[in-house]
Amino acid sequence: MNRTTARPITIVTGFLGSGKTTLLRRLLASPEMHGTAVLVNEFGEVGLDHHLVQRLDEQTILLGNGCVCCTVRHDLVQALTALLDRDQRGMIAPLRRIVIETTGLADPAPLVFTVVTEPMLQHHFRIDSVVTTVDAVNGPLHLNRHSVSRKQVALADEIIITKTDLALPDTVATLRERLRRDNPAARVTTAILGDLDPQWLLGPQASQPTMARTTATVPPELFQMPSHPPGAPSPHTEIRSLALTFTRPLDWIAFSVWLSMLLHAHGEAVLRVKGLLNVGTTGPVVLNGVQHIIHPPEHLATWPGEDQRSHVVFILHALEPEAIRTSIQAFQHLLGARPTVDSDDNVP
Amino acid sequence: MCVLCWQFLTESHWTDRQFEGNDSSTATAGSDHERARRRDRQHRTQVLNQLLAHYGLRLDDWHSRSYLLSDRKGKTAIVQDLGALWPTAQQLTGRLLDPLDPGLLAQLSHPPAAREPGV
Repeated sequence: MNRTTARPITIVTGFLGSGKTTLLRRLLASPEMHGTAVLVNEFGEVGLDHHLVQRLDEQTILLGNGCVCCTVRHDLVQALTALLDRDQRGMIAPLRRIVIETTGLADPAPLVFTVVTEPMLQHHFRIDSVVTTVDAVNGPLHLNRHSVSRKQVALADEIIITKTDLALPDTVATLRERLRRDNPAARVTTAILGDLDPQWLLGPQASQPTMARTTATVPPELFQMPSHPPGAPSPHTEIRSLALTFTRPLDWIAFSVWLSMLLHAHGEAVLRVKGLLNVGTTGPVVLNGVQHIIHPPEHLATWPGEDQRSHVVFILHALEPEAIRTSIQAFQHLLGARPTVDSDDNVP
Repeated sequence: MCVLCWQFLTESHWTDRQFEGNDSSTATAGSDHERARRRDRQHRTQVLNQLLAHYGLRLDDWHSRSYLLSDRKGKTAIVQDLGALWPTAQQLTGRLLDPLDPGLLAQLSHPPAAREPGV
């Protein structure tokens, strides 16, 4: 089974009380969600009235080196295997999509790891996107105080600021800017009481790789260095981001050697790596990784826009962006291209 | 399962992904795809040896299916892909192989006959 037939999985995460279930309840009411199974860790106060809701009783198996991201969620393996079995026996409507709602205190990385690496699941399912809800009122406090909240934002492909009707416009604008800074590769939008067009999250674009969606809709300046100076931490967090641009095509073999070596040595500190790479073929390669986990790289037939340079975003925890930049500069002879931190206007 | 080393070969590492648009499961010996795969492995081995030399290690391709990783004392290990290479190299050397290692970066910045890349 390949990516076109593998069933997409959307992971909905967000800190306690940030509106995950409210968002899901609204989404599940829409016709587009027909054939969607929902896996939840806990039945919250907001009931989900959906015929395919199943509870996950968290069972984790810590692997090898004890890295938290490389943890198999055995409960997820069991739940997805059971769903697949029921689907193939014709006991449920054809299964088109899975939505997993995490607890407010969950790190989504083990869920991604489980789907990407489990031998059976990786052929039948693929991670489509990680959606993170951030409460406009309490979100800034959660981000300041709780590392798991910062990680949920760092791992997101899509960020939804909720409860914007309860917060001052300036507060929402400041939060939005902070989220853009903490995760330059994610799309950010707002929703009140879960009122969001399902097409935004799950529409036809959802069949495209996440990075392609992102590059097609996000202004190119988001792939440049965030507004704070290089190396400076985002206020109140130890999470930093680095966006690199390569004008010349990259040597994929050398780049993958460099990245695999980096993730071996510092995988836990690389919260996210996301990019579109020009490797000298007709279309770009979509790179998408969460800590030690790299999704199978996808080769797109065509570029989503006119910009055919390579863009890579790193979201780092307790690792200096400058160290990454210095390393990749030293590897330039192997990579065949030299990175720039800003736009190509700065290329010497 | 590999009949030589009895390893289960269920999945390819993400770094082994090829982008010619061919399905690796249908590759046959002598096909364009197989030639491209061997060319990639040869290139990967060359790139890796430039890094591994800094740690006193050497990598050889073994029948285009596995790699032989050796240290200067002749200790050798079979590795399947880059997922296994780095931890095995760390075991052999007792050092973390780190692309941020200043010593490695200094060596890479002044290769013997470096070509100047474009931007």
